[in-house]
Amino acid sequence: MALIEMKNITKDYHLGETVVHALRGIDLQIDKKEFVAVWGPSGSGKTTLLNLIGAIDDPTTGDLTIAGKDVRGLTDDQKSEHRNQTIGFVFQGFNLVPVLSALENVMLPMQIRGASVAEAKKQALMRLEEVGLSDLINNRPAKMSGGQQQRVSIARALVNNPSLVIADEPTANLDSETALMVIDIMRELNERDHITFIFSTHDQRLLDKVKRLVRLEDGKIIQE
Amino acid sequence: MIQWIKLAYRNILRNKRRSIVTMIAIAVGFTSISIYHGYISNAYEGLRWLAICGERLGHLRINKAGWEEQGKLEPYNYMLSKEQTDKIIQLVKEEKDVVLVTPQIQVMGTVTNGLTSIIFIAQGVIPKDEEFITKFWFDVVGYVDEGYDTVIGEKLNEKKTYGVLMSKDMASYLKMKPGSDGIVMAQTLSGQMNAMDMQISGIYDTGNDFSNDKFMRFNFEFAQALLDTQSAERVVVMLKHWKDTERMHDVIAKKLKKAGIDAEIRTWQDLSIAYNKMKSYLDTIFIFLFFIVVTIVLVTIINTMSNTIVERTKEIGTLRALGMKRVGVAKLFALEGALLGIFGSMAGVVLHTIEWSLIRLFPLHYTPPGLSTPVAMRVNMVPWALMLLIVCFIIISTIAAVIPAKSAAKANIVDSLGHP
Repeated sequence: MALIEMKNITKDYHLGETVVHALRGIDLQIDKKEFVAVWGPSGSGKTTLLNLIGAIDDPTTGDLTIAGKDVRGLTDDQKSEHRNQTIGFVFQGFNLVPVLSALENVMLPMQIRGASVAEAKKQALMRLEEVGLSDLINNRPAKMSGGQQQRVSIARALVNNPSLVIADEPTANLDSETALMVIDIMRELNERDHITFIFSTHDQRLLDKVKRLVRLEDGKIIQE
Repeated sequence: MIQWIKLAYRNILRNKRRSIVTMIAIAVGFTSISIYHGYISNAYEGLRWLAICGERLGHLRINKAGWEEQGKLEPYNYMLSKEQTDKIIQLVKEEKDVVLVTPQIQVMGTVTNGLTSIIFIAQGVIPKDEEFITKFWFDVVGYVDEGYDTVIGEKLNEKKTYGVLMSKDMASYLKMKPGSDGIVMAQTLSGQMNAMDMQISGIYDTGNDFSNDKFMRFNFEFAQALLDTQSAERVVVMLKHWKDTERMHDVIAKKLKKAGIDAEIRTWQDLSIAYNKMKSYLDTIFIFLFFIVVTIVLVTIINTMSNTIVERTKEIGTLRALGMKRVGVAKLFALEGALLGIFGSMAGVVLHTIEWSLIRLFPLHYTPPGLSTPVAMRVNMVPWALMLLIVCFIIISTIAAVIPAKSAAKANIVDSLGHP
């Protein structure tokens, strides 16, 4: 069974009296262990597509199943649990909590889940080690570079052992070298732990690293 | 839970200036209420002792059954006979929580200096028991405001039964002073007019403008002689502690009933009109002040938390995306509000203690409405009230934080994440 199944998905936004058709009939199937890039120009609907897959937004029409769950039928609390247990998020702006250290930021999703501090700490330390940040666990985001912050963000996305990690333009705020390093880490985790990664980008240099490319334009998939 | 408290604490420190201003608002609000409560607590205490000792109501007053309704119309039918009075005194004295049982009698009539006559209301009392009540007042309260119960001249003396005390405005009106002679006239219980010579032993301040021109105190025997009776109107009971009033009321009522004495017992609170009215007045002001202050504090915290939430919209979106439920977001901000409440209240306790100390060191004097003598403004330190106020302010701060947090938690996650 596919990890993600989208059938005839549309998403409209209402801006005053104007209706913006962000997605226009998307059919997409992503299996477990895939490493997928969603590519396209600005305004093509990449972020909207990832938001729907991440269950932080609802489609206007169509069927959406993630890890066997019909997301549209879930209550808000059920969606929260679903995101916490199934999905990891990596944001373009890192979105780390500034008052927490790297370790505490990574522990956060486990603590939201209700895990004990000891268990969360153990798992977070392991994930931070995987992204090469064992030495900076007590640093707060303000004392870390963009690349380091994004690696903390990746560790945070992985800490609950999700089946899917969604990354919205994870390298947009990074220099080329750091961007490639971040993609390499994600790729390595995909190959070693078989975690499904879906990320959006418009950086063509990264496209060589992906196994599958989904190209969006004007809210439609124009190339796979 | 501890990790969430830690997070809430660090979030408070994020914008120190704003948090400090909020905590100052809480502390000032807290102190306004606590100082006023300490003041009225002291005022209630003062009024209570003024009623029990100053007005000589005692903690309990025992009359013959029916006195309240018919006693003033038919006093001869509602007096306690000597035998009944002695029996009541003997029975009540057996109780270990009773410190004094004394008979009293009230006389109304006219007093003259030979030229001018005015109406008086006099209490016939036993001098040594009067001394005891005054001493008891001072011993229990620790102070009696200057002017109260001080007698210019001599106090009542059992050996000089014709010696009386006169309230100061009455003495001033009649131009009488200690040593002045006069005549008191009253109707005996059987309805005959009776007159007796008297001499002013001392002049006293009743503490009340309304009674200072009509009150007198007689020796119990002198009052009995004026009314031509061996009876007593009432028996006044003083207890070790005022908090035992209601309990002892029931104990004594049962005991007297068992002994076949048909009596009615009233507490000082039933009898003191001044205490009840003043308490009701001060309680109303307290409630009014409490709601004003709470509203100000509530609005201040809501404003602070609303600003905090706007600044942290993206963070709220991130937490929601990571799987935090709406209620979790509300709880997080509730914790921040609660911490602001705790720190603000603690600062309030410190501020209260400083103000309390300053008021103790440099007391202000004022004359309350109806009283004849200035009193020192005192503020009681009431630990249970401070604790209750701390809990109250923590709850208020928590509610004030939850109100804006709940609406923020309901916001669309994508919109929150896109917030600048």
